[in-house]
Amino acid sequence: MNALSPTPSRAYDLNFARYVYENIDGGERLRMCMQCGACSGSCPIGQQMDHGPRKLFMMIRAGMKEAVLTSNTIWNCVSCYNCVVRCPRKVPITYILHDLANLAVREGFDAAKKADNARFAKAFMWSARKYGRTDERLVTGIYYFSFGLVEGMKRGMGNQKIALNMIKTKRMHLGMPHAIKAKDELQKILAKAQEIQDRHGKGA
Amino acid sequence: MSRTLTYYPGCSSQASAVHLDKSLRAILPPLGVQLRDIDDWNCCGASVGHIEAGHLANSALSARNLANAKAAGPEDVVTPCAACYLNTHYVNESIRGSEQLKGDLNEALGVVGKSYDGSLHVRHICELLVTDVGLDAIKAQVKKPLTGLKVAGYVGCQTVRPFANTERANKFDSYDDPTFLDDFTQACGAEALPFKMRTHCCGGSVSVMSPDKGLHLIKELLEEAQKLGADVISTPCPLCQTNVEMYQPEINKRFGTSFNIPVVFYSQLMAVAFGLDPVKDAGLDQNIIKSDKLLGM
Ligand code: SF4
Ligand code: SF4
Ligand code: SF4
Ligand code: SF4
Repeated sequence: MNALSPTPSRAYDLNFARYVYENIDGGERLRMCMQCGACSGSCPIGQQMDHGPRKLFMMIRAGMKEAVLTSNTIWNCVSCYNCVVRCPRKVPITYILHDLANLAVREGFDAAKKADNARFAKAFMWSARKYGRTDERLVTGIYYFSFGLVEGMKRGMGNQKIALNMIKTKRMHLGMPHAIKAKDELQKILAKAQEIQDRHGKGA
Repeated sequence: MSRTLTYYPGCSSQASAVHLDKSLRAILPPLGVQLRDIDDWNCCGASVGHIEAGHLANSALSARNLANAKAAGPEDVVTPCAACYLNTHYVNESIRGSEQLKGDLNEALGVVGKSYDGSLHVRHICELLVTDVGLDAIKAQVKKPLTGLKVAGYVGCQTVRPFANTERANKFDSYDDPTFLDDFTQACGAEALPFKMRTHCCGGSVSVMSPDKGLHLIKELLEEAQKLGADVISTPCPLCQTNVEMYQPEINKRFGTSFNIPVVFYSQLMAVAFGLDPVKDAGLDQNIIKSDKLLGM
């Protein structure tokens, strides 16, 4: 891991805001945030967020790096874009939250290992990388078992009826995962993209 | 007049949303649109790829698809999946707007001898139906009007919202009050109910990941549809269809409700209204909750 945000071990980091403005996808527009709260007010999942986007953005300005990257706000966002279309300053809030989540993953915060969304993202990308396609069965299976065997069984059982319904209606197949032909090619492209990303410490 | 467009079906077309893919492939040719699939297309990363892979690697997924699309021709890329549209359009527009991103992605594509110049246009199939095909052409194909069928049109969030209010908006992107779905319903001869929650979020993949956090969102949608006396809920979004349909038993168990409302794709309604085969073309056998009323039409 390289080129990550400054001094990852400190709870407060006054350079964090600048890091976010310069490195997080869409972060430069965050400078324009006027703390109006339209984002948090329109969030359907706001009740399940510890801070909500408005407050999170204030915390970024205050340099509260650790609190930001361990906040469940970055994990609970369901990408509905309610906030983005309402923001008077056109801050690309959803993209920023996703990229902050990615930063939390790269910096290895514990919360980023435990979050449902992070586990799911990991299972999802595993399938996308390996097969070039997402196999809904494998993704949910791997996701469930990321909680351990017992919890995985429990969650799997809870969804048995759903799976059965999907099989009956031929919306879940029983054979090998669907895969693209040029798996190698895709893996090479992704590896190179990852390398470039690490080189800059950000995407673009 | 017939035209060929490049088609990005998305992973859900082979799994939970086969009936969307099937019904689209049935209704588009009569409307003068031929689909040519992107060669060996890959997953777009949906809304979580970014979190695990990062911005550039996630964008590289769409870049490969776009490179393959461009290699086949300059025609517009159309996709029926909200998340596929979001990712592919976003990456395409970002490539057009940033020389650096374009350079980085081409460096990645270059390792396998591919490239992409950002010259394509990515569109949602619903937008194609509204702006290119047009409602009149749709009406002209209706042989069996769905008279008396009460439809709650559920647009969901990602189909029209992400680019509304931005310089990347396609003409049809809007978030306040999209009417296209109701227009489709009416074009099929059915009744479009005033479903106020049309752009509310269903929670997306949260219902799979953490049902405790998301199922109440679906419950609220179902409540409103039930109050209006909906025979079916119609939606353009693969994940919405699956979510709103599949979790009804679980929601009933958790909240003591008794929902049993069929959830179909707009394209399934069109296939039936066009007089096509309800099973082979509309894929109505692939809905978990069957609509007897629709099957009997
Ligand atoms: S809506 Fe925009 S300007 Fe208002 S607080 Fe949220 S991000 Fe800031
Ligand atoms: S995109 Fe995320 S943060 Fe924004 S309103 Fe939706 S759930 Fe909330
Ligand atoms: S958004 Fe969903 S359907 Fe579209 S490619 Fe990605 S995983 Fe597949
Ligand atoms: S599945 Fe739900 S969350 Fe995703 S686009 Fe559709 S409505 Fe929005």
